[in-house]
Amino acid sequence: MKEASTAPQRSRLAATLTRPVAGLLATTYRWVDERLGVSDLTHQLLYEAVPRRGAWAYSLGSATLIIIVLQIVTGMFLLWTYVPSTTEAWESLNYIEHHDEFAAIVRGMHLWGAYVLFVVIGLHMIRTFVSGSYKKPRELNWIVGVVLFLLVLGLGITGAMLPWDQAAYWTATVVTHVVDYIPFLGNWVQEILRGGPQMGPETLTRFFAIHIWLLPALLVPLIGLHLVLLRRHGEHGSWVNYEGVEVESEQHRAERMAHAESPYPALPSDPGYAVPVDLDQFFPSQVFKDAVLSFGLVILIFVMAVVVGAPLERAANPAALNYVPTPEWFFLPLDQILVQFPQAWMIPVGVFVIPGIGTTLLMLVPFLDRTPDREPWRRPEVMAPALFAVLFLIFEALLAVNRLFNL
Amino acid sequence: MNPFLLGASAPVLSKIPISTGVATALVALLMLTHIQFAAFQQGGYLILAVSDFMGWKRKDERHNRFAHGLLICLGATFAFGSALAIFAVMILFLGLWSVFWDTIFRVLFWPMFVEAISFVGEIICLYTLYSQWQRLGGVRGLRVGLELLLFVNAQIQMFCIDVMASYMLTPRPSSDLALDIFNPTMIPLEIHRFVGNIAFAGAMIALVGGVRILWSKGSTSRAYADWMGHYGLVWAIGFTIAQPLVGWEYAKEIQLHAYASWYSMMLGGLSVAFLFQVFLLGAIFTVGIYYLWRRVRAGGVRAPALAVCTGISLAAWLLISTPSSLAWSYEDVFAANANVPIWQGGLLIPWGEMIPFKLVALIAFTGVAIVAITVYLKHLSRGHLTWGSAGRGQAVALIVVGVAVSLIMALMGYIREDSRSPFLITDQMLINQQQNFTPPSSPGPDLNGPGSGVGVVLPFGPPLP
Amino acid sequence: MAEEARELAQRRVSRRRFMIMGINVAGAGTALLIAAPIVGSVLSPVFAKRKTPWVMVADVSRVPIGVPTAYVVNLPINEGWSVPPVPRTVYVVKLNLNGSVEMLTLSNVCTHMQCDVHWDIGLQEFLCPCHGGLYSIDGTNIGGPPPWPLFRYEHKLVDSTLYVRNVLYEP
Repeated sequence: MKEASTAPQRSRLAATLTRPVAGLLATTYRWVDERLGVSDLTHQLLYEAVPRRGAWAYSLGSATLIIIVLQIVTGMFLLWTYVPSTTEAWESLNYIEHHDEFAAIVRGMHLWGAYVLFVVIGLHMIRTFVSGSYKKPRELNWIVGVVLFLLVLGLGITGAMLPWDQAAYWTATVVTHVVDYIPFLGNWVQEILRGGPQMGPETLTRFFAIHIWLLPALLVPLIGLHLVLLRRHGEHGSWVNYEGVEVESEQHRAERMAHAESPYPALPSDPGYAVPVDLDQFFPSQVFKDAVLSFGLVILIFVMAVVVGAPLERAANPAALNYVPTPEWFFLPLDQILVQFPQAWMIPVGVFVIPGIGTTLLMLVPFLDRTPDREPWRRPEVMAPALFAVLFLIFEALLAVNRLFNL
Repeated sequence: MNPFLLGASAPVLSKIPISTGVATALVALLMLTHIQFAAFQQGGYLILAVSDFMGWKRKDERHNRFAHGLLICLGATFAFGSALAIFAVMILFLGLWSVFWDTIFRVLFWPMFVEAISFVGEIICLYTLYSQWQRLGGVRGLRVGLELLLFVNAQIQMFCIDVMASYMLTPRPSSDLALDIFNPTMIPLEIHRFVGNIAFAGAMIALVGGVRILWSKGSTSRAYADWMGHYGLVWAIGFTIAQPLVGWEYAKEIQLHAYASWYSMMLGGLSVAFLFQVFLLGAIFTVGIYYLWRRVRAGGVRAPALAVCTGISLAAWLLISTPSSLAWSYEDVFAANANVPIWQGGLLIPWGEMIPFKLVALIAFTGVAIVAITVYLKHLSRGHLTWGSAGRGQAVALIVVGVAVSLIMALMGYIREDSRSPFLITDQMLINQQQNFTPPSSPGPDLNGPGSGVGVVLPFGPPLP
Repeated sequence: MAEEARELAQRRVSRRRFMIMGINVAGAGTALLIAAPIVGSVLSPVFAKRKTPWVMVADVSRVPIGVPTAYVVNLPINEGWSVPPVPRTVYVVKLNLNGSVEMLTLSNVCTHMQCDVHWDIGLQEFLCPCHGGLYSIDGTNIGGPPPWPLFRYEHKLVDSTLYVRNVLYEP
């Protein structure tokens, strides 16, 4: 009885007290909105049609975006202490690890964020591949995605060099020496990357600049392009969103096209695939799934950063005798290829020709797989080789682990 | 002091009247047979789970029927295959190879313990499925889950026994169990067998399919046999593709960590057996790809790409089966200047001087098989194959692949085990120390005491040079 | 007459065309002026001149024959600005060749991917842990992926004191 009578009273009181403030806020918002068009923009961004079925699988893309943002933010704040100098880089990180717990967590999140990013971006790519989402009109967005993946790999490897501990130093040595095997120009490229024929102070500053400016400056606009293209053509979804489109009548198809919600129909497209059969709103149903996945991953990153953290080995020692450099896990297959291709003329085959062919084929996938089929088992011409390629990478990584464990 | 213990005397250990040679032959026969059964189980469980899943999700009657038939076959063969292993352990290992058996159990106690447990798990899953197949069909997800659990159990077993097999070839001088388990050839052997067992099961299915094509009377049973042969062969070829790369890495680890064994396999007395092995590998690829080509052709579709693949594979087969003139003794190798690095005109990688061209053949097999299986699956997905139209030629090809895979499995086991000769555990235990040994006079080393590493457990003194 | 006029009009640069040309020239010039020094600075290491002074290693008269002995040398690398010299390892190897003792000053940098090579006592070979490269005692590549033998430092002996400088050569 008492509860029921006091609750409305309290809210009335609150309304009386907050009305002037709320009114002021509303006025301010309207003023800003008239000039910036925030409402329109938000509405445009959130109320878009997306495919209804299989939506959890599509949240990998936004998880990738969220983690990249996390990387940029944590990276910014790592710069508050990090000194990009061969004499002080290790010292500054060592200080963080021993005297600045919060900065150590930030550093741990940057590292684990990178690890999770590789997993998520790989899964995102596999998902897109399996569902055939790269088919017309989305070919260019696939290529942009592959370039983004390569940029992230580049960020990973340049970032691994920055602590200038033993692991970083020898990773940098090997990576900058790989380019020495480029025919004719190798020596030059190596000197340009290292700032000299040998590892030196400029090696670190150059890779620092590449890591924090050059690659992100390419990455961020390309992410923008990726998203603009996504919005231009709409999400493709996967084959479950197009059940029965091959056997539907012309009339039915035309009707679906005519009543398609923005941004559909995606044109030019294979007959029937311009609009998913069943649509949903991006907000809130897709955003909810995106939020849940991203939140879960950020929790994982945070926990790993606090519990495990980022390792820091001893300071770089170019005169080392018994140090065994182990590559970051995402470069294990490549490291195993280095073992399998001995001698001067075969090394470029292993490090440039084979990965080069692989990357080129990956980029050209939309042009190799041109049938209207979306189901993976009806596209064996790309699915089977891709399966072998993935198995190859896994086996190579396992063999590399075995070799490094049994040195 | 306990008076009973003081009065105790050692039991009389009589020598079992079976020579080392006969014991070796018995173990070889028994274990090679056991491997055939075990490999079929290992791979069959995965094929079972995938087939049942496909029958469920795609409402395919053929997959349903096949899954049930495969399960009955697995249930029946499991019992016999396990009986072989139990017989081997009880009679042969405990009786004739007790020193070795005791040692290996002390070194690898925990892996063997885990294997025994997973054996129980396998029995529970398998016979639940075996007896309750129809009833479990009502809860299809549970049935597929049980099948996957069966596969996982079998994989744990294989992992544990791979630990033993790889440890015998490349033991690491340590008392750290992790180093014993992940010894240098463990992971290559594990991948090699994981892939190989699935291919083996597929080849056995193809073999049965081939035989049934020849024997079938009605068009329905012929269509099913035809499909079954194709289904098994796709598994077999698809998984054999990984074998050249993984096998090469395996050989490389053996070269680095058990050079004598490697030498024996590639250049020594076993090189002839190895040559026969790569001949069989060529047969699997070439006849398999030939089948793919003819099978598409039997559907009335021209497949020039598959014809080219068959041709290239045939050429690679000839290349890889060509014996090298050397490779009989170290003197021959030396005379052929093959004991120096490859860039000085010698050899460094497995397969001796034959290397460059054998390697080319292996790469050719891998590449051609990937192309062939992709093209074949493309024809399949386009509906170019109609079941029941396979001819005698394709049936025979299926049988040949099945027999070749069975032979290569046995031969590989023989080569790996024999390459260690005269050791049972490389550099640590001899074969002929099993029968004419004297029991140690001391109570034996303390298992948990300091320095209870591998070397101390062995009562034989220093290893042979 | 009319044709002539049209031809003239065509040949004359119109106001619009002139401005477009101007935009292009200004744009290209701006890009060039910004890019030239950047490209120069990026490429500068290729053209930099470096000093390689002699650095004392140690008295090597007691180095045993047939046992590679590692010395750490602080080599000034003279890249960029002034930095402390970088420690590097020099393997001094004395070999008895037909009665005369030859001394080698091997770099411990693997010629495959420049990892750190060490003398493995068990193998009696130089071993690179990265990818399993093997070298014999005189630095010859005998196994694994390395394409060249171990490089050597230029060296000189003053009495029995070894000096090296940061110039590597292939034997």
